[in-house]
Amino acid sequence: MAKTELSRKTKTEIEDSSSLKGTLASVFLLGFFLIITWVGVYLLFISRF
Amino acid sequence: MFNPSAKLKVDPRDGKLAMAHFFVAFTALAIGGLAGLLQTLVRSGKFELPAGIGYYQILTVHGVVLGLVLTTFFIMGFQLAATSKTSGALTNKQRIAGWIGFWLMTAGTVLAAVMILLNEATVLYTFYAPLQAHALYYIGLTLVIVGSWIDGAAIIMKYAEWRRKNPGQPSPLLTFMSLVNTMMWIVATIGVASTVLFQLLPWSLGFVETVNIGVSRTLFWYFGHPLVYFWLLPAYMAWYVVIPKVIGGKIFSDSLARLSFILFLLFSIPVGFHHQLMEPGIDPAWKFLQVILTFLVVIPSLMTAFSLFATFESFGRSKGATGLFGWVKKLPWGDARFVVPFIGMVAFIPAGAGGIVNASHQMNQVVHNTIWVTGHFHLTVATSVMLTFFGISYWLIPHLTGRTLTKAMNKLGIIQAVIWSIGMTFMSGAMHAVGLLGAPRRSSYSEYGGAAQAAEWIPYQIAQAIGGSILFIGIILMIYIFINLAFFAPKGEQEFPVGEAADEAEKAPMVFENWKLWLGITVVLILFAYTIPFIDLIQNAPPGAKGYKLW
Repeated sequence: MAKTELSRKTKTEIEDSSSLKGTLASVFLLGFFLIITWVGVYLLFISRF
Repeated sequence: MFNPSAKLKVDPRDGKLAMAHFFVAFTALAIGGLAGLLQTLVRSGKFELPAGIGYYQILTVHGVVLGLVLTTFFIMGFQLAATSKTSGALTNKQRIAGWIGFWLMTAGTVLAAVMILLNEATVLYTFYAPLQAHALYYIGLTLVIVGSWIDGAAIIMKYAEWRRKNPGQPSPLLTFMSLVNTMMWIVATIGVASTVLFQLLPWSLGFVETVNIGVSRTLFWYFGHPLVYFWLLPAYMAWYVVIPKVIGGKIFSDSLARLSFILFLLFSIPVGFHHQLMEPGIDPAWKFLQVILTFLVVIPSLMTAFSLFATFESFGRSKGATGLFGWVKKLPWGDARFVVPFIGMVAFIPAGAGGIVNASHQMNQVVHNTIWVTGHFHLTVATSVMLTFFGISYWLIPHLTGRTLTKAMNKLGIIQAVIWSIGMTFMSGAMHAVGLLGAPRRSSYSEYGGAAQAAEWIPYQIAQAIGGSILFIGIILMIYIFINLAFFAPKGEQEFPVGEAADEAEKAPMVFENWKLWLGITVVLILFAYTIPFIDLIQNAPPGAKGYKLW
């Protein structure tokens, strides 16, 4: 029936070729790495001084 | 970046000038690399230098020859070639300036090198007054700096000429970047030139008895930090402009690239105190101010990282890549011109993270004067910058000599970079780790009277020697590739890759070319960050120091 067809949600994943979500993920990973390194040495600093 | 004056090839006369710089640079790589190998072997505790050669003498050779000579010559050669390529051939007057600069720098290098080899100037890389070298050593280094100014004048004159002929137009991106780096270099070297001419030279000649150490160190580090950005910016030039073309993509944004270079000009200089965080005589408040300015200079590097990820992802998606990281697979992993600088980019992530730790005011106590710092700058300058310079050489040397990069040399280039990475992982990794355990930098092998803590360091020092040996193999390979590309590779045309911006239609804002504004802000920031603490250092100075020759 046409009605059921209309109500059925067809999920078509079309990825935008201009998407920069990989870039977003990459800069977040970079940011986390900077924070982890910094906190690591900070804890060393706290424990020593 | 429409540019009517840009030609396909760098003018052969300019090519010859650039090549002259590269011959000195790669000779320096061979000599300085050998000195580095010897240092790591001595510090392993398993070897001793023959014929009474001192550890600190080869340390001085390594630092001066690689940190000052290799870098400055390569950068000047690259920037001259890049300017000539994007803004047109140098005029005779500009080229003569280039040659005068080159010969002054070379004469100065020879003079300084002879004094180091005669063991008259074992003052380490950063001069370290009250260690006192022979006057000819200081004169030699002064000639290197004055020569680099005249060399740089050629770039400034070319830029001015281009702007005159193209009113209202933004300058070609590579020319713009070369100009920013040249101006930053000139402003920065005023500091080191001042300490050498007004303090160290008269003191070394015996005209004055003592020298103000605090002032000399402050003037040195006023120069010493922008120096590292002077090394880095040519690598960024390649990352922003050359790499997109090599992979077949576009520069993410021309304006973003210009803005990041302007930020480097503004914030690279008033930050020298972060090298002096443990020093007396400077008020902590002024140190803190310069720490803040140091963190501002992180921003353009983060902009660069974003821009590069975006360039790579846009390119990958244009080739049909999907998913979060599908674009990584589309990059040209067999092309040395891309892979070698790419490894340099990856190395800059831990390098930058370490740098943020170093500059974090009180936290500097954890790493200050430990070999962690040595590990840090072997990631920044000796991996990120060097691998990018090697990657540049693979197309620039054959471009200038009318030859081509063969498949065999391309492969060898990638192997070279892999060897470099392995060697550096061992060496720099061990340096970082043992630095956190307190091992000092700059010092020769010692068991420190059998101290338990010092015994812990020895396995790491052996790891450094293994890494250093692997790196030396990398240096031999690089010299081999350089000689091949300069003299033996088959004749042909090798492209000088210059990327186009994705936002080509949008003209870069002309405010970026307003040098009165940018140099004005640079000077204001420098005066703000340095004037009061500098007056303090002079007014409240302790008694001056006599010269010492401890070697």
